[in-house]
Amino acid sequence: MTNEHYLIVSYFLFAFVSLGLGVVAYRLLRTPFGAIADAVAGKSSSALLKRVLHVSITMAAVLGFLSVSYTQHGCVNYEYVVKNRDYLVQLNREQIQSTGNWIVYAVFAWCAVVVICLVVWRNKQDVSPRE
Amino acid sequence: MSPHSIVFLASFVIAILVVGLLYRLLHPSLRGLLDEIIGLPAATDFYLRAFAIVIVFVALAAVFGAGHGDIKDGARFMEYVWSVASSMQDVFQNLIIALLVYVTLATVLMAALRRKH
Repeated sequence: MTNEHYLIVSYFLFAFVSLGLGVVAYRLLRTPFGAIADAVAGKSSSALLKRVLHVSITMAAVLGFLSVSYTQHGCVNYEYVVKNRDYLVQLNREQIQSTGNWIVYAVFAWCAVVVICLVVWRNKQDVSPRE
Repeated sequence: MSPHSIVFLASFVIAILVVGLLYRLLHPSLRGLLDEIIGLPAATDFYLRAFAIVIVFVALAAVFGAGHGDIKDGARFMEYVWSVASSMQDVFQNLIIALLVYVTLATVLMAALRRKH
């Protein structure tokens, strides 16, 4: 396999893997988050929150993948990129690293959102303890 | 198999073991704490799953991000060990930061949800 073939195959393969990592993270959080959203918000708000969770975590994964630049933001040309296989492998690893980091940032952000949801839920409970 | 691949695989396996151990050590007490302060099982489940995702992805990112440019063909055993140790330094550093953020979050959660007596 030439370096150019490797570049094409690995780029799309790692894009798919990054997206897959985002989907895995979302699917793990979907069920408990859905229950929290249902308990805290109304039906339409709950559906919106669930949709935003899905979009934000998968987008964070894609953003992580896309944030790695093969040409170092225009400093390196295409010939240099395809000349060195080690450089290509290193960039694939950076794509996974960046994807992991962005998913973690998104999950922490959602943890903060859930804190706010729980404060709202607790206040609701205190106002109407029978619910 | 190239020296880079060997170091990467060794680091990957050790990182997975460290993450598994960390999760097993913290999971029961974290569940107890979250159950006590939140009182909503779905939220406890959410934070436990978020914790698992965070430590797994942080360790994964550190292992994938570690460069092993220092190791060459024909390297000695201790050079492999040093290279793996260098990767593990990144793993532990990222895990510590993630744990500190998580603890901060748990503290905010405790402060916000504490019932008024």
